[in-house]
Amino acid sequence: MNPSPTFEDQLTALLPRLRRFAHALSRNSADADDLTQAAIERALRSKSQWQPGTRLDSWMYRIIRNLWIDTARGRARKEKFEAPPEEAERVGEDPRDGMHASLDLKRAMVAMQRLPEEQREIVALILVEGFGYREVSEMLELPIGTVSSRLVRGRTALLAMVGEQ
Amino acid sequence: MTEMDDKFFAWLDGELSGDEAVAMEARVAADPELMRLAEQHRAMQARLKSAFDTVAETPLPERLQVAVRPPHAEVIDFRAAARARDARRWGSLPQWTAMAATLAVGILVGTAIQPHTNGPVEVQGGRMYAAAALDAALNTQLASTPGGNTRIGLTYRDQSGAICRSFTQPQASGLVCRDDDRWQVRGLFAAPEGQSGSYRMAAGMDPNLAALVDSTMAGDPFDAAQEKAAKQRGWR
Repeated sequence: MNPSPTFEDQLTALLPRLRRFAHALSRNSADADDLTQAAIERALRSKSQWQPGTRLDSWMYRIIRNLWIDTARGRARKEKFEAPPEEAERVGEDPRDGMHASLDLKRAMVAMQRLPEEQREIVALILVEGFGYREVSEMLELPIGTVSSRLVRGRTALLAMVGEQ
Repeated sequence: MTEMDDKFFAWLDGELSGDEAVAMEARVAADPELMRLAEQHRAMQARLKSAFDTVAETPLPERLQVAVRPPHAEVIDFRAAARARDARRWGSLPQWTAMAATLAVGILVGTAIQPHTNGPVEVQGGRMYAAAALDAALNTQLASTPGGNTRIGLTYRDQSGAICRSFTQPQASGLVCRDDDRWQVRGLFAAPEGQSGSYRMAAGMDPNLAALVDSTMAGDPFDAAQEKAAKQRGWR
């Protein structure tokens, strides 16, 4: 009936990308899907704040990123008092192990987790999601020089982690 | 970080234009060290991206699809619904809804459900039973279990003392009650048009199913502890 896609249609079309971004930020797939789900729910609640005609993808990425920061902060406060269980699980799990032509998802996630959060989000947005520096600078409200230098640090650390070909 | 680093990577990412891009291009071409660095970073990015692309290429978990199009979150309070219905003329005739449900089953058996395929139900001796995955889900899942294809709604005893459970699948929702060691289907309702593929939660139960549940329930629905205990007793 309606020729223009609804908000929900557009959101659905974005889900694979949003989920990919959530995986690049999160410790594991379950956390990534929780994050994606929370972002969907927030988006639906604040649907009226999105202006049709503007990019829904940037808006959604920003929601995911903000929720992720909130969750990470909450967790950091909590874990000050408890040893994070996944540190123990991660012992012996070196992202360089068995690194050949492809980097499997789990290893990629482990490598991303080792980056400081402010580098991780920028690496994810630019190297994985394919946004330009300018777009990321606007999305995260950071000067473009900050975006670019965090990206350099992040990708240099990643290269050292995942090794050469 | 030097300015050189920033420029080099900006070039690598296609962020430089015009003269700057040309100059960096020439500089890299003349410097084997930079050339190697460019290659390493390109390869690293390609591997990183292809690792995360597997996420975008796998089918979405059902819960995310449901999150985008939540079922109408119409919460049915069974006791309140029953009181409201009692106030209506036909409210004192629960058989009416049971009859309607039976009719719905008949139509479904004739059309939507083919008894000889791997559907959620099978017909035996003129009675319809949960089959295969639906049967397994009814035996093992609790209302709190994050569903695979099946979600459990309410569990309760009917007037004959048998345990009944309502369930929701993408295509249909229904009610089953324990008959010896099987789940006999008491009602099965096709998801409304446009709803298939997403769940209707117990809270937004099909009104026909809600009526059937209400007309058969003796007492109150089980709470989580009662449900778990019933499972441990093999739903007896």
